[in-house]
Amino acid sequence: MKILYIDTSSSYLYAAIVEENKIKKQIKKEFGHTLSEKALPEIVKLFEESKVTPEEIEKIIVVNGPGSFTGIRIGITIAKVYAWSRNIPITTISALEAMALSSKQKTYHVPIIDARRGFVFSAIYDKENQPILSPKHIKMDELIQKLEEIKDYIVITNDEIELISKKESYDPDILKIVMRAQEKEIINPHAVNPEYLKLTEAEERKQS
Amino acid sequence: MSDNMKEKKEMYILGIESSCDETSAAIVKNGTEEIATVISSQIDIHKEYGGVVPEIASRHHVKNITIVLEECLKKANMKMEDIDAIAITYGPGLIGSLLIGLEAAKTLAFIYHKPLIPVHHIAGHIYANSLVEELKFPLLAVVVSGGHTELIEMKGHYQFQKLGGTLDDAIGECYDKVARVLGLEYPGGPKIDKLAKLGKNTYDLPVPLNDDSYNFSFSGLKSAVINLVHKEEQKGKKINKEDLAASFQNVAVKSITTKVKKAIIEKKMKTVIIAGGVAANQVLREEIKKVTDELHVKLSIPPIQYCTDNATMIAAAGYYAYLDGRVADLTLNSKSQDKLN
Repeated sequence: MKILYIDTSSSYLYAAIVEENKIKKQIKKEFGHTLSEKALPEIVKLFEESKVTPEEIEKIIVVNGPGSFTGIRIGITIAKVYAWSRNIPITTISALEAMALSSKQKTYHVPIIDARRGFVFSAIYDKENQPILSPKHIKMDELIQKLEEIKDYIVITNDEIELISKKESYDPDILKIVMRAQEKEIINPHAVNPEYLKLTEAEERKQS
Repeated sequence: MSDNMKEKKEMYILGIESSCDETSAAIVKNGTEEIATVISSQIDIHKEYGGVVPEIASRHHVKNITIVLEECLKKANMKMEDIDAIAITYGPGLIGSLLIGLEAAKTLAFIYHKPLIPVHHIAGHIYANSLVEELKFPLLAVVVSGGHTELIEMKGHYQFQKLGGTLDDAIGECYDKVARVLGLEYPGGPKIDKLAKLGKNTYDLPVPLNDDSYNFSFSGLKSAVINLVHKEEQKGKKINKEDLAASFQNVAVKSITTKVKKAIIEKKMKTVIIAGGVAANQVLREEIKKVTDELHVKLSIPPIQYCTDNATMIAAAGYYAYLDGRVADLTLNSKSQDKLN
């Protein structure tokens, strides 16, 4: 089975075509603000280089956030339009879970994505990568308090998180992520949407 | 153009539009015949915030996009394989909103190996008229909407020459702001038109930018209305909302018709078309009609459903853009601002 993996939830494009538990070809590239223009052409290149046609893809796995709002929407839109139009199964995985899975350290895994203004998107996974704290938009201080109780952990992040020393940068183990996502439920493409974990500012103002 | 396309008599274009708060998909045959249109409007959502909130708009576009596409194909009783090309609004508009339609269009163009046609949102509004009747040149397009106020000269298909435009606010924006001063709920523009029917032109307001250019200015008029309301309140007088709406509308419309008249005469136009959301305004339609009748030129106004944002007009414009050789590759990006040319 040929699977297309897409993650545009950060300034990086992570994408791959996976076949029979092997990565045929993958991309790990930082694009920043040009992600919207580059994501699809890069994915097309992935198809060309791995000599796979769009018709051959049988399943799509897409990262649904949290992260850059615009970024997540790019990947989700490509993935859901693809799955809907070709009528193939699609499933999602959290960016935080993908980060935790990619760490090789045998400790608790704490993926962190900067959410600005003293907040981060984070979660805590145990050594078997089962969630202890599910993905949240949380104050950095509050997260640090929770981490003090754990001690034996590693933070996975590509952002500058100064308050924490036990950290490693995120280099996705796409095969591992895809294998885990394979266990997840198939979703109707219409219902595949970003998990922002945060309301828009306008909604927040309205609530308060 | 490929030989294959040249020989083909029928061309079905799938249009996608998501530049503001409407997610829309449509299929149009040969740029003139509407096959199917689906529009998912977010107006009720943004109403609560007194205007379009960009991040909320983007979130809804991504939620709606495949549903809208599916309904459109179903309505047309067609499959993606039956589509000859995909036309997409690449700009101008809200960048986060544009991106959803754009990524969807690019993805479909890639999977189904279809040409991708970039369409300027204003070209779409202009070509809404080609769904009603064939465009006759030289033509003056009066583009009036929440984001635009422009006079565009066309000597042929897809030849756009901007004669002038607003130097500050768009006319629709001005209507919405004045509506807010009058305590009308967003979107207030159409409500002013209704209210004005009940009032008389009694308040003295200046005709903005009454000069020799083809440009407009609406921020001064907006301020004049705000100042007038404040002054009357200070004097303890009650504003007659109907009369103020009528007075405002009189001046706003006059500033458009004066320049329209000037353009018809100086540029020897044969046709005038009104395009954009504010084309739904009754008084503007009537007053421009008076001018075109007087000067014996043809006036074409699209039906209301083609005036507001929709993908039908994008698919229609896409056909002529395609004939003009405008095809994009998959690096196409959305642009919040871009000149129509």
